[in-house]
Amino acid sequence: MINHHLSDEILWAYATGSLPAGHALLVSCHLELCSDCKSRLGEAEALAGAMLQSTEQQKPSDDMFDLLMARVEQEAPVPAAAFLNEPKPEKGVPTALWDVLGHGYDAIKWKMVGPGIRQFILPIKPSEGECARLLKLSPGFVTPEHSHHGSEMTLVLQGSFSDETGRYKIGDVQEADEHVHHQPVADTEEDCICLAVTDAPLDFKGFLPKLLQPLFRI
Amino acid sequence: MQLQNNDGDSENCPTSAELSALLQTLGKDRSREIFRELFEFFAPRLKTYFLKGGATSELSEELIQETFVIVWRKAEMFDSRKASASTWIYTIARNLRIDRFRKERRYLYKDDQFFANEMVEEETQLDDHHQTQLSERVKKVLPLLPAEQSTIIKLAFYEDASHSKIAQQLELPLGTVKSRMRLALARLRKLLEGVDL
Ligand SMILES: [Zn+2]
Repeated sequence: MINHHLSDEILWAYATGSLPAGHALLVSCHLELCSDCKSRLGEAEALAGAMLQSTEQQKPSDDMFDLLMARVEQEAPVPAAAFLNEPKPEKGVPTALWDVLGHGYDAIKWKMVGPGIRQFILPIKPSEGECARLLKLSPGFVTPEHSHHGSEMTLVLQGSFSDETGRYKIGDVQEADEHVHHQPVADTEEDCICLAVTDAPLDFKGFLPKLLQPLFRI
Repeated sequence: MQLQNNDGDSENCPTSAELSALLQTLGKDRSREIFRELFEFFAPRLKTYFLKGGATSELSEELIQETFVIVWRKAEMFDSRKASASTWIYTIARNLRIDRFRKERRYLYKDDQFFANEMVEEETQLDDHHQTQLSERVKKVLPLLPAEQSTIIKLAFYEDASHSKIAQQLELPLGTVKSRMRLALARLRKLLEGVDL
């Protein structure tokens, strides 16, 4: 039973493809575990679809449809079965994470970062300013109190933890921003494994200036 | 299938239900004429979508072509109980845009994954009437949002702008961007419940 879900603004960012890569990985994992958020994602995508439907029009080139027809008429039909998913990974590991790790939690090469806390930086190419890692907290271990410069999202994959804001079990998501000060504690006999994604403040000097130019024209 | 009435202000535009019916028919008979109708409706809108995302006119047209190649290939998998035609085509276009501009995220938005995942939760399926109605409702309520809220929603949709980028661009704290987006989406949901077609 999942008690802590994705926020609307995270789901909207995911539905529009604008969520940074590590965050999108975390959201994909939660969606595999949570049918509530999955149907909320459906709503967000329906909203996006309706926005596309009502967006303004710009005329494409006149010969485009003929070019397109010429292209598809050469295609051999693709059987529907070709689009089905590959076999499921080890139980307990979300598919999206399995695709990154290639194995289960037992085979992870953890690095000690302090007493009772280990981490593994995920081998994905994160978006700028982002870091995606797995954390393993030993039972009873109290994380030093900390706050965040940017935002942090955490998804529990095994065990559970508690902090000032509540108790987080498998599938639960915590979204913390720069105002949250917390001290998470792994609160069962089992190691607590989490996927944690941080988003440091970005330095925008020269960052995609071309892409940002049209921002005020919508 | 029950077709809905037009909005009145868009006399020549097919309704959501009509678009979904077209796409479903395309899946069955691969008619060139139906393919053309869908193309004529969506291509000019997709062009705006790709252009605002930062693509050149040339690249936008290439991406429109790629979108429709996938529509052609996968039309028989379209199921109007799971999504309206515009939502289905939107997700294809979105995935292609990520593929082109945001390669680090591409593995998360595979079309194959999208369609396969959609098959998992049988019990969350709604009837097609609901899906197409939702599209019509959204079209009606979007203009009712206050500008500061709709701007933030549209920045993510058109420009692929993350929360941090929006914050930077609008010179607002990150928390304000998130809470405005949350308010906007909550308000939309409320408006959607109240609107009559
Ligand atoms: Zn959830």
